[in-house]
Amino acid sequence: MKIKVCGLKHPENINAVAALQPDYIGFILYGKSPRYMANLATDALQTIPASIQKTGVFVNESSENIDRLVTEYGFNAVQLHGDESPEFCAAFKGRVTVIKAFGINEDFDFEQLKDYANNVDLFLFDTKTKEYGGSGKTFDWAILDQYKLDIPFFLSGGVGLENIKEVKNITHSQFYGVDLNSRFENEPGLKNIEKLKEAFKIIKNKTQQMKYGVNEQGYYGDFGGAYIPEMLYPNVEELREQYLNIINDDDFKAEFDDLLKNYVGRPSPLYHAKRYSEKYGANIFFKREDLNHTGSHKINNAIGQILLAKRLGKKRIIAETGAGQHGVATATVCALMNIECVVYMGEIDMVRQAPNVARMKMLGAKVVPATSGSKTLKDATNEALRDWIGNPVDTHYIIGSVVGPYPYPDIVARFQSIISQETKAQLLEQTGKELPQYVMACVGGGSNAMGMFYHFIDDEAVKLVAVEAAGKGVNSGESAATTALGDEGVLHGSRTILMQTEDGQVVEPYSISAGLDYPGIGPQHAHLFKTGRGQYVSITDEEALQAGLLCCQLEGIIPAIETAHALAQLEKMKFEANDNVVICISGRGDKDLDTYINYFGY
Amino acid sequence: MNRLNKLFASKNNNLLSIYFTAGYPALNTTIDIAEALEKSGADFLEIGFPYSDPVADGPTIQHSSEVALENGMSLKVLFEELAELRSRVSIPILLMGYFNPIAQYGVERFCKKAAEVGVDGIIVPDLPIYEYEKMYSSYFIDNGLSNIFLVTPQTSEERIRKIDELSNSFIYLLSSSTITGYNLKLSDSVEEYYKRITAMKLKNPTIIGFGITDSRSFAKACNYANGAIIGSKFVKLLGEEGYMDKIDGFVKGIRP
Repeated sequence: MKIKVCGLKHPENINAVAALQPDYIGFILYGKSPRYMANLATDALQTIPASIQKTGVFVNESSENIDRLVTEYGFNAVQLHGDESPEFCAAFKGRVTVIKAFGINEDFDFEQLKDYANNVDLFLFDTKTKEYGGSGKTFDWAILDQYKLDIPFFLSGGVGLENIKEVKNITHSQFYGVDLNSRFENEPGLKNIEKLKEAFKIIKNKTQQMKYGVNEQGYYGDFGGAYIPEMLYPNVEELREQYLNIINDDDFKAEFDDLLKNYVGRPSPLYHAKRYSEKYGANIFFKREDLNHTGSHKINNAIGQILLAKRLGKKRIIAETGAGQHGVATATVCALMNIECVVYMGEIDMVRQAPNVARMKMLGAKVVPATSGSKTLKDATNEALRDWIGNPVDTHYIIGSVVGPYPYPDIVARFQSIISQETKAQLLEQTGKELPQYVMACVGGGSNAMGMFYHFIDDEAVKLVAVEAAGKGVNSGESAATTALGDEGVLHGSRTILMQTEDGQVVEPYSISAGLDYPGIGPQHAHLFKTGRGQYVSITDEEALQAGLLCCQLEGIIPAIETAHALAQLEKMKFEANDNVVICISGRGDKDLDTYINYFGY
Repeated sequence: MNRLNKLFASKNNNLLSIYFTAGYPALNTTIDIAEALEKSGADFLEIGFPYSDPVADGPTIQHSSEVALENGMSLKVLFEELAELRSRVSIPILLMGYFNPIAQYGVERFCKKAAEVGVDGIIVPDLPIYEYEKMYSSYFIDNGLSNIFLVTPQTSEERIRKIDELSNSFIYLLSSSTITGYNLKLSDSVEEYYKRITAMKLKNPTIIGFGITDSRSFAKACNYANGAIIGSKFVKLLGEEGYMDKIDGFVKGIRP
């Protein structure tokens, strides 16, 4: 939904509204309006970013005057709010975006719009009054059902905080955006920024209304937040202020969707695994993230974040990686976008995952060994954070999982949520039902699991099963089963559950799978675990390797060892015959061949 | 009024503070080092308690933390060592460290214990303003502890004002956006930042830290603030043979 803020006339107020990044800002050039911007210097609009359409609003003005004012103020759009004819509108079409406004009441005849259809870009439906808008009154929105043309429209008139949620419920296919004016003012022409912020938040943010989603302070129940040193505050704050506006922007969505489709190869198939279904006595579906470009779900987030970084004007990317999957995905998108890329990787992991180090280098990334602490993923994360502290202005840190300070867990979850979004549609198509009985995924930090769960979390009938790595056994002292072994605390900027000593020192985890070898979980997982919404279990190295081999032999798919943990859990589940079960095949097993070969002796 | 407030009331320029990590290079050195620093003329001290993942620290302090942890340092051990603090050391003492060890110890218990052994203030770089204010400030205030906030060149004026309001002893100015242990480059932009802070006329004194290594950078920092803190450079000294005998010369070398 687009947002237009209309009726501004004070320079400072204009800048404050522009900082909220609406899609349109309207200036009223009608002398009888209390919001008439008569005294505004012609260069007063120059500071408005190009992404915002500067709109001049006219009432029965002469075309000469409109022409002159469009040039003087640099308007990108004109809103004709009087009795202008279709021919009058046509004269501006092609030069600027033409919005024709109509006052609506119960007697309004939508037939009269037909003559305008070819001559305007947008309609704006306002409440019918004598004053040409700005009345603060609504009209009965049900009447919009009578509008059948294919020109998109703005809804205007009396939209305020008290009814904005109802606006969000309008489902008309041509509903383009909402016009905010008199209900967001301290006085006519002076907008109340706090109220606007509130409205923007409601309009742009979907998660806020999700039961298990993040709140305004960045918390999921008891977990989340941003426990970061002051040196990181400006970086994180910039992201927090911008991310929703950016990722909800239509241009962003279009570019993201295009790359997911044409570069990554989405949608990934939902495959009904027949031999698995037979074996486990339920309908088992594989969500094939292993078929993505670069071989795992990690690319979804990397694409999203590189587009985010570009819109934030960043010139340099840093990332951490454990097994190298996220590092490769990040190096890939940096090559694609021609942006400098530095990947931090534990010195020990660089030896264990040498082919991925080579991949990143081939893709043009610089791989920097993390030599402190245990020289693995958590230390690579520390080094990336240190880099970010030293480079606060030009660098974006692409975190690879649903961890880190808010808003990272939410950013990564949203980019990965494509997994469950597609799954819902595919299930509906294949089974006639959108909701399965179970969704299952492995959890390290938890990004593929959060992507797999995301659109099912509020459907409480769907059971969420998250599978952690037990390593050599939960009680062996060599494990990464965070929920079984961890306590609440703070790790990498968020309050979550982590494996730690009594004294609060972070414990080095162990798993055969580098992608699950992390001492914490994302804060939203901690919340799902603590509330009992999700079931968190663990699988040993050995169980995972056996399950990986079984998948090769039954379905002809070599899964990543991370994924094999989720598959192994099937052995322990009790299903009903008609249960639909979706399991996220988060990555392919090519990177793990050495491990499989060493274990099975092929 | 704790010892920090008294110090700032009696002296408002060229204040020298030294940071060191408890448990480095060995256990049971904390009080000896603190005592030697006081004798050499340091005005107040920060004693670091180690953490496994110190993201705001560079290699020197990170290394000292690793060694301290290997030596068995923990908050419990530290408070045991500090039991005799006030019989041997009279200058203000701050504890500095990351939030997770405090959270595990229990924030309220930590504050009580710190006050009990005679600590005056706490610096927790990764405890944000929001969480401090909402959840923990009462524990600090009830125990007479000052919580110290950091400010960097990127911190907004609005936020600095908020920090000034929440502070009751001093504000810790970072010389630049950096981790500990890197040399201070006094570029024009840094100078401008200090001037900007000075012009704000904050109610709390300011102390500059990060990147202060010698008498020159110390003197420069004191042009803009009430004093400065030396950390990594001193921690390096503690890694040398016979460090106890070198402390006096080190401190006097910084502030002749």
